[in-house]
Amino acid sequence: MPDKKTPKLDELEHGPWPSFVTEIKKAAIRNESAKDLLNLLERSYDDKRGHWKHGGIVGVRGYGGGVIGRYTDLPEEYPHVAEFHTMRINAPSAWFYKTETLRTLCDIWEKHGSGLTNVHGSTGDLIFLGMKTEELQKTYDELSDAGFDLGGSGSCLRSPSCCVGPARCESACYDTLALCYDLTNSYQDELHRPMWPYKFKFKMSGCANDCVAAIARADCSIIGTWRDSIQVDQDQVKAYAESGLDIQGMVCDKCPTRALKYDHEKKELHVIAEDCSRCMHCINVMPKAVRPGKEKGATILLGGKSTIVQSAFLSWVIVPFMKMEPPYTEFKEMVARIWDWWDENGKTRERLGELIYRLGMTKFLREVGLPPVPQMVFRPRANPYVFWPQDEIVK
Amino acid sequence: MEKGPANPEVKEKVLAYLDTVEKAKSKEIAAKIGVPKGDVDLAVKELAMEDKVEYLYITTTFVALKGKVKPPQ
Repeated sequence: MPDKKTPKLDELEHGPWPSFVTEIKKAAIRNESAKDLLNLLERSYDDKRGHWKHGGIVGVRGYGGGVIGRYTDLPEEYPHVAEFHTMRINAPSAWFYKTETLRTLCDIWEKHGSGLTNVHGSTGDLIFLGMKTEELQKTYDELSDAGFDLGGSGSCLRSPSCCVGPARCESACYDTLALCYDLTNSYQDELHRPMWPYKFKFKMSGCANDCVAAIARADCSIIGTWRDSIQVDQDQVKAYAESGLDIQGMVCDKCPTRALKYDHEKKELHVIAEDCSRCMHCINVMPKAVRPGKEKGATILLGGKSTIVQSAFLSWVIVPFMKMEPPYTEFKEMVARIWDWWDENGKTRERLGELIYRLGMTKFLREVGLPPVPQMVFRPRANPYVFWPQDEIVK
Repeated sequence: MEKGPANPEVKEKVLAYLDTVEKAKSKEIAAKIGVPKGDVDLAVKELAMEDKVEYLYITTTFVALKGKVKPPQ
C-alpha cells in the first residue's frame, strides 16, 4: 500500500466495477515501483498535469522496437519509477493463450518488473508495465526462452493482430489467424528494426463486422468478404418469420442498398446480388437463414489511422476482392510495392494514409501499379474518385 | 523476408556517417553515403546485433552509434 494518503485515487475505487487503483494497490503491497506509481498519480491529480516523459534509447540487443522508454520527471521524489519502461509482448493470433502460458508470462513479469500488465493493450500486444533499464535484457531473454518475442514499437511494423476468425466464428471469410501468423513470421525484420517514416499496422477481420476495428485502426486492413452472392436458406427464413421476426422491417428496410426483397405470402427472401454491399446486416439478424457467399476472400483497405500529422482517417478500399490463401503471394507483392513507395516518398512521422492524402490517390495507384476501380470511395457511399489525367483527355 | 547478409563496405560507411552526426534515419544515411536504403537497413540490423549502433525513439525512430546519445536526465 502507498506510504502517503491517496484520497483522489481512492475515489476511483468506489462502485461495483473493477478498479485500476485497487489493482495497483495490490501490486504495491510487494513492489516499491507500484507504490511510487500510486503516489505519482495522486501527485498528478493534485498538480493537474502528468509527470511522465517517454522515448530515448531503451531496448534489447539487436531490437529497435518492443520497449518504450518511460521516465518520471520527478525522479528524486519517486525514485522507484525514475525508469518505468513498457515492454510489448507479441501476442499469438487472436490472443489465444493457455492458462499455463499466462502463468509463465506472469511469473517472468513478477520476477523482473512491477507486476502490472495490460492484457491486452490498445496496440494488441500483451503489455508489461514498468521495469528498470537493467531488467530489460534479462526479461527479454526469459521471454525468448519461453517462446515469446517482443512486439513492434517506433517506426516499424506494429504487431499484426486479427479477430478470432474461423477458430470461433462462422462468419469468417478467410483464415485470419493463419494470415496473422504468416505475416508475423514473414516480416520479422520489419517488426523489430524500425526503418520507415513512421509506424505501420496490419489488422485482419474475417468479415465486415470488423470486430478488431481494422478499418479505423490499421494502415492496412484486410477484411473478409465474398465475391458472389449471399446464400439464403428459405426454410430458415420461414422459421424466422414464424418465430415473429419482422423480416421486412428489421432486415430489408435496414439494408443500406435495399438489395433484399421479402415475399410476405411465401415467406421467402431474395437478394439483388449486384446491389449488395456485403455489409453483414442481414447475416447478423438472420444468421441461420443468410450466409456469406461461397467464393470468399478479403477486401484490402489502406490508410486508417488516428490523429497525428492529419486528422483521424478511415481506410480506403484499394482492392475490392483478393483471395487470401497461403502463401499470400499476391498480397505480399502488393505490400512490398506499397512499402517501397511510402518509404521513398513519406516525410518523417507521415503515415501511409497521410502520404496518399498529400500526394493524391492517382499518383499512389499509378506508382504502385494498382488499377482504379469504382469501389475506391473517399468515404462510405460518397465521392467516388474520378481521374482525368491531362494526357488522356481528347481535346 | 530473408534478405541475406549486409555488405561490409556499407556497414563501414554507415558507422563513418553516424560518427559525424548525433542520430539519423536510415533514409538520410542512405542519401548521404549514396547507397540504396535497403542496403542501409540491412547494415543497421547487423550493426545493432553487433552492439555497434542502437535505435533511438524521439517521436520517430533514429539510429545512433552505441552510447552516443545519453538517456534523459
